[in-house]
Amino acid sequence: MLDLLWLIPALPFAGFLLLTLAGRLPRAVIAGIGCGTVGVGAIFSLLLCHRFLTAPPPDHAFTQSLWTWFDVAGLAPGIAFHLDALSLVMISVITGVGFLIHVYSAEYMRDDEGFQRFFAFLNLFVGFMLVLVLADNFVLLLLGWEGVGLCSYLLIGFWYREPANGAAARKAFVVTRIGDTALLLGLFLLFASLGTLHFQEAFAAASLAWEPGSGLAVAAALLILGGAVGKSAQLPLQTWLPDAMAGPTPVSALIHAATMVTAGVYLIARCHVLFELAPAVLLVVAIVGAATLLTAGFSALVQHDIKRVLAYSTISQLGYMFLALGVGAWSAAMFHFVTHALFKALLFLAAGALILALHHEQDMRKMGGLRHKLPAVFWTFLIGSVSLAALPLIGSGFYSKEKILWDVWISPLGGPAFWAVGVAGAVVTALYTFRMVFLVFFGESRGARVEHRPGPAVLAVLVILAVFSTFAGGIELPHTFGHVTFFSDFLDTALASLVVLPPGLDAELWALLLVASALVLAGAGVAWWLYGKRTQTSDTMGAAPPRDPLLRFWFAGWGFDAVYDTLLVRPYQFLARRNRRDLVDLGPVFIAALARGLHTLLSETQTGRLRWYASVLVAGTLVLLLLAFAQ
Amino acid sequence: MTAADFQALLPFMCVAAAAVIVMLVISFYRNQTLSAILTLAGLLVALASLPIAWSHAPRAIPPLLRVDSFALVHLALLLVGTVAVTVFSQRYLEKYRMERGEFYILLLLSALGALILAAADHFVAFFLGLELLSVSLYVMVGYIFVKEKALEAAVKYLFLAGLTSALLLFGLALIYAALGSMEFSALAAAVAGAPDGLSPFLVAGMLLVFAGAAFKLSVVPFHLWTPDIYQGAPAPVTAFLATVSKGCVVAVLLRFFAPLDPASQTGLFSALAAVAGASMIVGNLLALLQDNLKRILAYSSIAHFGYILVAFLAGGENGPAAATFYLVTYFAATLIAFGVIGYLSPTDQEADTVADYRGLFWRRPGSAALLSIAIFSLLGLPLTAGFMGKFFLVAAGAAAGLWPLLIILTVSATLGIFYYLRIIIAMYSGEGRKSEGRTADAPFAPTSATVLVLLAVLLIVIGIAPEPLLAFIQAATTLAP
Amino acid sequence: MPDAPYWPFLVYATLVLTVAGGILVLSSLLGPRHQERVTGEPYESGVPPTATARLRLSVKFFLIAILFVIFDLELVFLFAWAIAIHELGWPGFWGMVVFVFILAAALVYEWRMGSLDWTERSAQARLRERREAFAKRQQENAAP
Repeated sequence: MLDLLWLIPALPFAGFLLLTLAGRLPRAVIAGIGCGTVGVGAIFSLLLCHRFLTAPPPDHAFTQSLWTWFDVAGLAPGIAFHLDALSLVMISVITGVGFLIHVYSAEYMRDDEGFQRFFAFLNLFVGFMLVLVLADNFVLLLLGWEGVGLCSYLLIGFWYREPANGAAARKAFVVTRIGDTALLLGLFLLFASLGTLHFQEAFAAASLAWEPGSGLAVAAALLILGGAVGKSAQLPLQTWLPDAMAGPTPVSALIHAATMVTAGVYLIARCHVLFELAPAVLLVVAIVGAATLLTAGFSALVQHDIKRVLAYSTISQLGYMFLALGVGAWSAAMFHFVTHALFKALLFLAAGALILALHHEQDMRKMGGLRHKLPAVFWTFLIGSVSLAALPLIGSGFYSKEKILWDVWISPLGGPAFWAVGVAGAVVTALYTFRMVFLVFFGESRGARVEHRPGPAVLAVLVILAVFSTFAGGIELPHTFGHVTFFSDFLDTALASLVVLPPGLDAELWALLLVASALVLAGAGVAWWLYGKRTQTSDTMGAAPPRDPLLRFWFAGWGFDAVYDTLLVRPYQFLARRNRRDLVDLGPVFIAALARGLHTLLSETQTGRLRWYASVLVAGTLVLLLLAFAQ
Repeated sequence: MTAADFQALLPFMCVAAAAVIVMLVISFYRNQTLSAILTLAGLLVALASLPIAWSHAPRAIPPLLRVDSFALVHLALLLVGTVAVTVFSQRYLEKYRMERGEFYILLLLSALGALILAAADHFVAFFLGLELLSVSLYVMVGYIFVKEKALEAAVKYLFLAGLTSALLLFGLALIYAALGSMEFSALAAAVAGAPDGLSPFLVAGMLLVFAGAAFKLSVVPFHLWTPDIYQGAPAPVTAFLATVSKGCVVAVLLRFFAPLDPASQTGLFSALAAVAGASMIVGNLLALLQDNLKRILAYSSIAHFGYILVAFLAGGENGPAAATFYLVTYFAATLIAFGVIGYLSPTDQEADTVADYRGLFWRRPGSAALLSIAIFSLLGLPLTAGFMGKFFLVAAGAAAGLWPLLIILTVSATLGIFYYLRIIIAMYSGEGRKSEGRTADAPFAPTSATVLVLLAVLLIVIGIAPEPLLAFIQAATTLAP
Repeated sequence: MPDAPYWPFLVYATLVLTVAGGILVLSSLLGPRHQERVTGEPYESGVPPTATARLRLSVKFFLIAILFVIFDLELVFLFAWAIAIHELGWPGFWGMVVFVFILAAALVYEWRMGSLDWTERSAQARLRERREAFAKRQQENAAP
């Protein structure tokens, strides 16, 4: 069973190749290949989970070495997969949620002329994502890392005839590239100082060679954090994700919510040994997470585009995961990753069904009152929202978010300040989530007409995800009630948590729980008071961007785009324009001209005349003889 | 001749017998498909007999041949190349109403010459193999004589190949004068006996032999014929010219020059290094703005054999292995390229301008994908076999300290990106405008499709997992000096 | 023989160049150079030609001649073999059998291709006619 591990990433790649090379196929076949390859992967992942739970392999990890890619100067990256609790959780979510989104896409993209291209890219993405999380060395991880970046680029710009989509794709590529460069530098540093890029060897060598807090450890951890920040859209590299919503909605659900953007979380969890050697960087991780979750939450509060709300919400929820990582609560971060993948995929897919029903209308100001017209979408969206807002007891989001908040409170690296930020973020989350629900589904219709009802595949996927996102919280219940530690125990086999629950804190934890729950409920209540109670007409909804300067500031994502535009993009473009004929270009221009000139010159020798050819041949031989004897 | 000798010679005998059988069959029953099937059968039986021959290797068949693991690896490569050419030819020739059976006799004889070269251990075998290869090729180049360019190409090839055969013979004569023997082993003995330097006769002779062989490899300054003949010859013949007729020459040169130590033969080797460097630069520069796909591939083959010469000059343990490995990757990519070109060529002329391939992806995605894989491999893109081939070439060159040549290799290979990508861009541009290029519409025959796809898969597999093949080649191609 | 003197080789090369060059130079120096009305004609001082020299000859002459040369040359090997027949023994015999068989196969090919027919109608054409007649008969048989 374990030996079939390689099949899980190989199948989507095979699907990609088939879809690319086979010429035009009927749509049913395309959908079959696309969903089938990922679905079989999901079944394998489930079987692997069963195996790990019933009869775990030695050390709770399994490595499958397929072959060595090349072997030069000590760098011998193997094509090898490492399966432990961490990667098992990742592949289960990737294949499971991925499969559901594939099925959803088969209906969602039905009328698109790029149907085959879409599934080819989607399969390619799943393949690279699986390589990323299964890699047992940094080189293979980087291959997957760059691969998913490429797929993200291709899929954001999927409707490439619209120039804005192309611009969004480019932005995503360039911004994440900054993080990728940092990651690459980090890998160079690791290889230069440790001499290996194999995970286990490098971590072992690092713990031996580096003092905790030493300069090299801090530098390596910081550079890796740079990569994670770019991929996971954290401050200050978060600006690409809202624009990435230009892609088709299933792509937003799969890549920009459930899987790819969590690669940064995975990377930090995987490299936790390095981060533990650099406590200062862990603090940076927590600060980045806390700052991101708040700023993105406020931005989500004022957006009009439903997908942009969800995008900012994704950034904010990833901030929670970073906060958890920063205080060493690995299993809490991964738990939130699992629940978030489920409920955010649900929200995106429900939003997608909504958008399709309203004929590609994404502006919430034009929706309203859809509760009766699209009841199935309403109920599933509501279930997702309850989870996202972490309403007490119902919905898995509550359990994962509470676990993060507790761990932040009791962790030696956390503390009340971080806890307070987390709770404030939770209030904001409840506020924007229910703002969205009330604006879209309650009140009166404000223009958008329902033209299309979701079909059976879409509904089935929504219901399945709704069930999962309600009950997935049950794999880990709080200490004070239920006390299920199934998930964290499982994950501890791969990542020993830094956060240990000290005894005798029950009363304190109850208090924290009640305070947080009460505040969240209050947030939801405020949302109802602001948006649910009053039936607003479209002209009181305000213009985009809003008139109030603070709201406008939030609407524009805290002005990051403007700042980057003024500080980086414009000066760069200015310099590039000034430099067009300048010194820097002279080199390449000269080389190109030289090559061109030499080509023209040499082309003159190709006269096509036999006599000339024969003469050159003989003369060449004589020159060679001269050369040989001139020495 | 013992039974073991016969078994060691089985591959050669199978190919020779196939030629005679095809000739006899077409005297009584003329059918193109039947001739092709018989040819394929002969080649496949020869391939199947390789393990039998392997069990007797190394075995000298005095005085002409030497069947060792080095020869057998090259034999396998040449036979596979010929199989692919046979499959491509069958479909290509169908388009022309003429006597087509004889083509396969010529192909088999030509292949036999190539096999003899790969196992040659004696001047006579060397020369016989080369002439058998060339004489059949003259006719094959001009086989579709209704095409004007084909006749021109055949005449040019005939004259120039005749001229270089004379150079080669003169070289062999000089070496014979110096050594008094026509066996390759005598050369090794002479080198071992004169550590301070070889006699000028010998050096001049070696250089002339190299010149004769270099014509086939079309390296500078023996390269001028290449584009004209590539363009004029039918696409499957061009495939044969570009692969089999070059691969066997590389094999014989590797064996011939194996006893020499580059360090003590500065004069000879500096001349060869000049050839390698000039080939890389000139080949890539000439291809730069070329508009004809067959000519681009011709020019780029000049550069590719410049690269291979780097490994050849590096010598030692890694040189022959790196050169052979590169040959494998080059064979697969080149065969795909010319196979696809032959397929897409309409009857009246070859589809060989870059403009013909504009928007190919939107008309024939399969062909475009195959051609892309081949071109990416020739370009040396990572994850394709071509990258690994170049990688091992550079590694071998670096181990031997050939830094100037390696710098030239890197720089000139960068130029290659330009013209290869032009083809790729042409294939993927012009969506929607379906009737842009001038290519045939006929679907692929299953045999050709199988061969092409297998070759493409090979390129990818080698690119991802080169180690097993490399290890095999390294073990098989160690030439004891 | 690395110590062999070069000078004979050099002398030989010089001699070759001198003779070849000398003939060319001398003939151009010493030869008569005049351009008259009939200088370019084939027979400056004979009977003027009445028709073109480019007669159409049947290619068969050439073909037969080439075939003769090939087979004649190949048969020369039989002499060499005959002289050494006792030393070579049975392996030599079988070798020669294979050789003669290939030669015979080539002859069969020549014959079937019609290269040996002097008349225009080749064996191939006869074959084709026969096949067509056969096909016609088949059709006629099938028709009623």
